[in-house]
Amino acid sequence: MTALRAAGFPEREVRARARRGAAEAFPAADAYGTELFGGAPETAGDELDRTRIVPPVFMPRRLEKLIELGREPMPDDVDLSTEIGGLRSALPVYLSAFGSTRAGSGDLSVAASRQAARLGIPMVIGENMVPVHGYRRTGAPSPLLARIRAYAEAGDGGTGGIVVQQSTEDADSEVWNLVYSDPASQELLHSGRLGFELKIGQGAKPGLGGMTVLDAEEAARAARAFAVQDVFGADAGRYLRSATPGTFTEEIVRQQVRFMRNNYPRARVWVKLPPGRDVAAAARTAWRAGADAVTVDGAEGGTGWAPRAFLDQVGLPLAECLRRIGEPEGCLLASGRMWEGTRVVRALALGARAAGLGRAALLAVDEDPGHGLVRLAECLAAEVRLIVSALGKYDVAALSAEDVWRPDAPERVPGRVPETIGERP
Amino acid sequence: MHHGDIAGTTVQGPSPLGEHLRTPALRSAMLVQQEALHAAREFLRDHGFVELLPPLMGPVTDPGARGAKPIDVDYYGHPYKLMTSAYLYKQVSLRGFERLFFIAPNVRIEPPETATTGRHLVEFHQIDVEIAGASREEAMETASGLLKHVVTRVCERVPGVLRDLGREPGFFAELLASPFGVLTHAEAVARLRDQGHPQSPDAEIDWVGERTLSEQTARPFFITDYPKGSRGFYDRENAHEPGTLRNFDLIAHGGYGELVSGSERESDYATMIARMRESAENPAKYDWYLRNVKDGIPFGSGFGMGVERLVRFLTGLDAVWKVSAYPKLPGVVAP
Repeated sequence: MTALRAAGFPEREVRARARRGAAEAFPAADAYGTELFGGAPETAGDELDRTRIVPPVFMPRRLEKLIELGREPMPDDVDLSTEIGGLRSALPVYLSAFGSTRAGSGDLSVAASRQAARLGIPMVIGENMVPVHGYRRTGAPSPLLARIRAYAEAGDGGTGGIVVQQSTEDADSEVWNLVYSDPASQELLHSGRLGFELKIGQGAKPGLGGMTVLDAEEAARAARAFAVQDVFGADAGRYLRSATPGTFTEEIVRQQVRFMRNNYPRARVWVKLPPGRDVAAAARTAWRAGADAVTVDGAEGGTGWAPRAFLDQVGLPLAECLRRIGEPEGCLLASGRMWEGTRVVRALALGARAAGLGRAALLAVDEDPGHGLVRLAECLAAEVRLIVSALGKYDVAALSAEDVWRPDAPERVPGRVPETIGERP
Repeated sequence: MHHGDIAGTTVQGPSPLGEHLRTPALRSAMLVQQEALHAAREFLRDHGFVELLPPLMGPVTDPGARGAKPIDVDYYGHPYKLMTSAYLYKQVSLRGFERLFFIAPNVRIEPPETATTGRHLVEFHQIDVEIAGASREEAMETASGLLKHVVTRVCERVPGVLRDLGREPGFFAELLASPFGVLTHAEAVARLRDQGHPQSPDAEIDWVGERTLSEQTARPFFITDYPKGSRGFYDRENAHEPGTLRNFDLIAHGGYGELVSGSERESDYATMIARMRESAENPAKYDWYLRNVKDGIPFGSGFGMGVERLVRFLTGLDAVWKVSAYPKLPGVVAP
């Protein structure tokens, strides 16, 4: 465990799950029989957290499963495996990009890579790794190669996969060309487990590029490729490095996606969107141009460093992004404050195919570099199985909007009020 | 020598360099190459072109190479690239030379999977042609004239070498007798899909598709109007058909595939910046080039003809490494 902190995030709960795994899905066993449980009337959190999961009484799909199994189905009968942006995944979650911040590009990220591979879930490697840390270098492998290697060594060769982001500055370093032409990536390519993600923006700071804080020596090196500013005062010895956000229009997104498919025909193509007000149009453009997955990162998301003004004030919450996108035309991925099963199930019910783990994954490997993320994911998986089976479904892909109730946007239940009468006063 | 498992297929590669240099087929190929280059220079000089010697490195290089990576070099502490093609210099040279050509060395770290195409080498050469004021059709005319002249002269000057290689003159009869056909990209896609090949309508014709079309004809043909997104930012977009480019490939018959790639060139500054973004490029790194575009590069067209691909086509040898004295196959580290 290091000094990694995540204020504004359920850090204590995540660390507990990283230590105890699925046991944390339940109250402590010694409280059984001595403590009374029951929900609080109001659940704190954002709109997505306030959305309730609502099992039905009648469960025709449970009957189907009962017939298939010849016995009453149990939560363990829920199939959590799914296909995420062209990659097979053992769970409806993937490891989000950590960015090039110190927290996200060191040993923790290598530990996270290894555990993501063991779990059989895809992993996204963040932008700006190569301009900041290099690709091939003498001595220790670069963070990008170290993560690819750790993942390849720990994986089963069939499930999961690696998705590499490229930002505008990365384009100068030709990260995708580097990875695509590297003999070290060929096994991933041949097994169909390499993807590239066009990063259009991110939840924590929509409209801005990546930001990191560097010491004087690093800042001097970075100044060639990035804007480096002395915002902390002359004595701080720290500098702000900002990447450009890149310029996008509908045509630029469409053509960049086609360009990726054309130049890297054997790689999956993912697109990551910020929680912009036109997120639905952007997602549609990417899917129609042939993107295998579109990730929407809610304004709650982000492992990286961001200006205070952007942390709470800028961008649409994930729930609103999902509402605007509606029924997705392609594979939709959602990220932002994901760490436990209910939020993942809600996102899936509202259209997402899978949810990205960012801060939670970093905290979990910080708590236990050997098993923290595996245990966190096992706990999450146990919760998802319980919930999906409670909904009378046995396949995560079957989750749909009927499985949730949104108090912030209550839907009229059809048939309850005759249409001729109209709304009640 | 066999090179293990490249791109999932066993690729027959060259012998160690000392042995490769002594093979009779290579010697024959070099005799054909020498005549081909001589004939190309002859044709281009007769048509008013000036030969320039190309630069080897620059702050940026041609980005229009599918999935291939340029080689970085340290140039007095500045990160420079070896030329994947000297395209940017060729176009800017129109400012001083109305008709010019290079016979240019190029180097591209190709994805290892291209080792199986028989048409890719890490180091190769192009006959790079650029023509001020020319439309795409004039560039196509020049490319077909150049190919016909080279074939004619090689057949005249080294008939015995071709015969020893098993190349019958009849192979070129239709090429010399009639003009080359033209297919649009959309027509090529439709033809491939009719045959059950899953060709994407908004990407390059893939290696298998190109080979298929090439095998089904008795003389070379052009494919025109590639979709935007399949080519670099400098191929000019058709103002009357947005989304398609005023470009072309010349595809050899007999399964030999693409010999030439060319286009009408974009030279409008604002359009070019937008096109750079559409191909995921950062305009800032093209600073020297964009300053020239802003100052005004003459409108024009041009193309590049692959030397090794041309010689492979002339000789009938089945892989480009057999017509290179110093072959470097994609994914294989060679001296």
